[in-house]
Amino acid sequence: MISRVAEHCFWMARYLERAEDTARILDVNQTLLLDYHVPMEQQWRPVLIISGIYDMPGEPQAETVQDYMTWEASNLCSIASSLAAARENARIIREVISAEMWERLNYYHLWMQGSAARQLYENSRCDFYSEIRRINQLIHGIADGTMSHDEPWSFFQLGTYLERACQTARILDVKYHMGMRGGDKVQDADATPVDNAHWVAILTSCSGYEPFHKKVRQLQDTGMAVAEFLVLDNEFPRSVRCCLRRCERAAHAVSGRPVDQPGDGVEKMLAELIGWLNGRSIAEVFRDGLHEALTHVVDSTHELGAAIHRTYFDVRGRTGSSKRGV
Amino acid sequence: MLQSQSLSHPSERTDKPDSQVGSDSLFAGYRRHQGAWDELFAADGEPHPHCRLLVERLGQLRSNEFQNRRASADLVFINQSITFSVYSDRRGVEKIFPFDLVPRPVAASEWDRTEAGLKQRILALNHFLYDVYHDRRIIKEGIIPGELVLGSKCYRPEMIGFEPPGRQYVHVCGTDLIRDTKGEFLVLEDNGRTPSGVSYVLENRVVMKKVFPQLFQHFRVRRVEDYPQRLRDALFSVAPAGAGDPPTVVLLTPGPYNSAYFEHSFLARHMGIELVVGRDLFVEDDVVYLQTTHGAEKVDVIYRRLDDDFLDPEAFRPDSLLGVPGLFRAYRAGNVTLANAVGTGVADDKAIYPFVEDMIRFYLSEEPILRNVPTYICDRPSDRAFVLDHLHELVVKAVNESGGYGMLMGHTSTEAQRAEFREKIRANPRNYIAQPIVTLSTCPTWTDEGSAPRHVDLRPYIVSGRSTWVLPGGLTRTALVKGSLVVNSSQGGGSKDTWVMENTR
Repeated sequence: MISRVAEHCFWMARYLERAEDTARILDVNQTLLLDYHVPMEQQWRPVLIISGIYDMPGEPQAETVQDYMTWEASNLCSIASSLAAARENARIIREVISAEMWERLNYYHLWMQGSAARQLYENSRCDFYSEIRRINQLIHGIADGTMSHDEPWSFFQLGTYLERACQTARILDVKYHMGMRGGDKVQDADATPVDNAHWVAILTSCSGYEPFHKKVRQLQDTGMAVAEFLVLDNEFPRSVRCCLRRCERAAHAVSGRPVDQPGDGVEKMLAELIGWLNGRSIAEVFRDGLHEALTHVVDSTHELGAAIHRTYFDVRGRTGSSKRGV
Repeated sequence: MLQSQSLSHPSERTDKPDSQVGSDSLFAGYRRHQGAWDELFAADGEPHPHCRLLVERLGQLRSNEFQNRRASADLVFINQSITFSVYSDRRGVEKIFPFDLVPRPVAASEWDRTEAGLKQRILALNHFLYDVYHDRRIIKEGIIPGELVLGSKCYRPEMIGFEPPGRQYVHVCGTDLIRDTKGEFLVLEDNGRTPSGVSYVLENRVVMKKVFPQLFQHFRVRRVEDYPQRLRDALFSVAPAGAGDPPTVVLLTPGPYNSAYFEHSFLARHMGIELVVGRDLFVEDDVVYLQTTHGAEKVDVIYRRLDDDFLDPEAFRPDSLLGVPGLFRAYRAGNVTLANAVGTGVADDKAIYPFVEDMIRFYLSEEPILRNVPTYICDRPSDRAFVLDHLHELVVKAVNESGGYGMLMGHTSTEAQRAEFREKIRANPRNYIAQPIVTLSTCPTWTDEGSAPRHVDLRPYIVSGRSTWVLPGGLTRTALVKGSLVVNSSQGGGSKDTWVMENTR
C-alpha cells in the first residue's frame, strides 16, 4: 500500500487510542478522589506528567486539568485534539477505511463540536468519559467487522497497540510521579489505604479490575501483582507484553515473514523488547526499579515509532509532512 | 387528478383522503416563474406529460412530512461529511452542498436526443484537439482563427506531435446545459479539463433512495450508479502498451485541502483504485512509480484531478509542489496515460466555444444536435463594439475563469461594475466573451415559503475511453436565492437529483 496512506492509518489508530486512554486516566482519577483523601498536589499533576505535559498554564486543579486534557485545542494530547487529529487522518484516507467507520468517526467529531458533548461533560463527567471510551471501542468493532484485514488493517493494529503499550506503561508509572513508593518492595501490611487505592485505580483505568481478580486469586502483594498483570500478562489486551505481541503480529502481517524470523528494523526491535520482558520476573523488575523498567518501555516505544517511520513511511528518505504525528 | 390506488404506497398515503389536494401539500400554492420554462409544469399550470405521475405522488406529501424527509436527508450529508471546501478558507471550512429533494425530471426521449448531441460534441472536441496539436487543418482552412487557438493560455506546445493512447484527449467531460424559455437545451460551456461534481450525482441518488424508497419503485429512473465502473473501464482501455494486466490506475489529487477532495476520495473508493498525492509518485527512467510500504510499483494510468500547470514542475510551473517531477517526460515517452490528456483546455476555452458548432460541421460533416448560446467574441471588432454598447443586457465572461468568478451579469450590475468591465474588455479583448442573458429554466424547489421556482442548469458527464458513455442525467445545480441565475456551488448554489424517466404508461 501507499506509504503515506499507511502512515495516516497508523496515526488515525494512535490518536483514537490516545483519546480513549486519556479519558480512562481522567475518569479514574476523578472516581478515585471521590473515595479517598489525597493531598491536593498529588491529585491531578500526575495526569499531566504521564501525558508528558510540564507546561500547563495555571494551577493543576481538578477542573483546570480536566478542561485542559479534554477540550484545550492547543494541547495536542487533549481528547478534543486527539479526536480531531484522528478524524483528519481518516478524512484523508477515507477511500481506505470503511464507510461505516468514517460515518461514526465523523458523527463523534460533530458531536464533540456541538453543545451536546459539552452538556454531558458539565452534567455527568463519568458518562462523558465513558462515551469517549466508547468511540474507540466502537470504531474498532466496526473496523473489525467491515474492513478487510489486509495491510491497512495491520497498520491500524500497529498504531493502536503501540500507543496502548506506551500508555499502559505510563499509567503504571503514575505512582512514581506522585512521589509515592512504587518501585520498592511494598508489603500489603505496610501499604496505606491510599496506596492500595491507587493500585486499584490504575487497574480500573486499564479496565483490568475484573480480569485481574479472575486471574490473581491469592493476593500477597497488591502492587507487585498489579504491575505483573499490567506488564507481563499474556492474555490481557492492555498489558504491555500483550500489546507488543500484537504489534509484532501486525508488523509480520505487513512483511509476510514468520514471527520467529524478524527481518526489518521494526521486527527486530519488537523481538528485542519482548525478549527483554520475557527475560525477567516481576520480582526482578521491582528489584531493579519499576520506574526504570517502565521508562525503558516508554523510550522503546518512541524508538519503535521512529523505526516504523523509517521502515514503512519514509522509504526513500524524504522528509515527511509535519501534520501526522507528535 | 386522483391517481389509481394501486400506485399508492401505504407509507406515502396520508390519513385524510382529501389531503392530496389540501392546502399544505407540497405543490399547493406553487407559482410558476412567468418568464422561464418550468421543468415540472407547463404554461397552463398542468404538469408536463412525463411529470404528471411524479407531481401527483410528490403532491400527496404534506409540507411538514416533506420537511421531515428533508431533515433526514440533511443528516445523511452531515454525518457522512459529504462536503466541499471553499477556496478562500485556507484550512477549508467544510460545507455541505445544499441538496433539494424535489427531483428534476427529464423525459427519456428528450434525454436520448441530448445524449446523442453530447456524444457528437465530444467527438468533435477530440478531433479538434488532435488537429490543433498535429496538422492544424481547421486553422489552415480558415474555420477558426489561428491566434485564438495558439494564443490560448491552455494551448500546450509541448503536446505538438504527441499521440495519446486511442487518440483520446477528453476522457471525462462535464458539459453545462441550460434550457431556454422555449425549453430547448443549449450548451453553455464544456469542461474538458478536470470537471467535478459527479460524486454529488451519485450521493444525491443514494440519499433520494433512502428518503423516498417508494418513489423509485413506481418510476423507472435510469441508473447513475454505474459511473465509477464505466470510468474505470474507460481508464483501463487507454492504458499504454506494456501496462500490467489489469493496469495500475491511480487518482492523483492536489490533496486533502482541495475543495473537491471529497469527490476524489469518493471516486477512488468506488473505482477501487489508489488515491495519491504528488509525493506518492516518482519518475525513474521515464517510468512512473508509486511509493508503497513494499517498495516501488509501476503506474500505468493516472486519472489526474490536478491542472496542467501543476502536474510537473520540470515541464510546467516550476513552483508546483503538488506535481511529480518528470511526469510529463514519462507521458511523452508513452509509459503512462494521463486522463484527461495535457492541453485539453484549449478546447473548452470560452473563446473557442463559439466555434464548436463549426467544428462539428467541419470534422463530422453533421449538423450539431445541441446548439450553443449565441456568443459575442470581444476579440472581433464588430462584436466588441456591440458588447460595449449593450453591457446592461449581456453576461460577460472572462475566458479563463470558472466557478462563476470573473463574470458580469449586465442586468443586475451597477454602472461602476460596467465601467470596470468596459475597461477590462478594451485592455484585453481576447480575454472576454459575452452572451445574451438566458433566463434559465426553473424547477420547484423547497424554500422557507414552501415550494417555489428556482433556476437550474444541468451538467451531464461524458466518459470516453475507446468508446463513449454518457451518465444518464447529470448534476442539476440550482440557485437557491430567488431570481438568481448563478448556480455554482462556490456561489451558494445547491443541487438536485436528476431523473431520466422512462416513459410510463
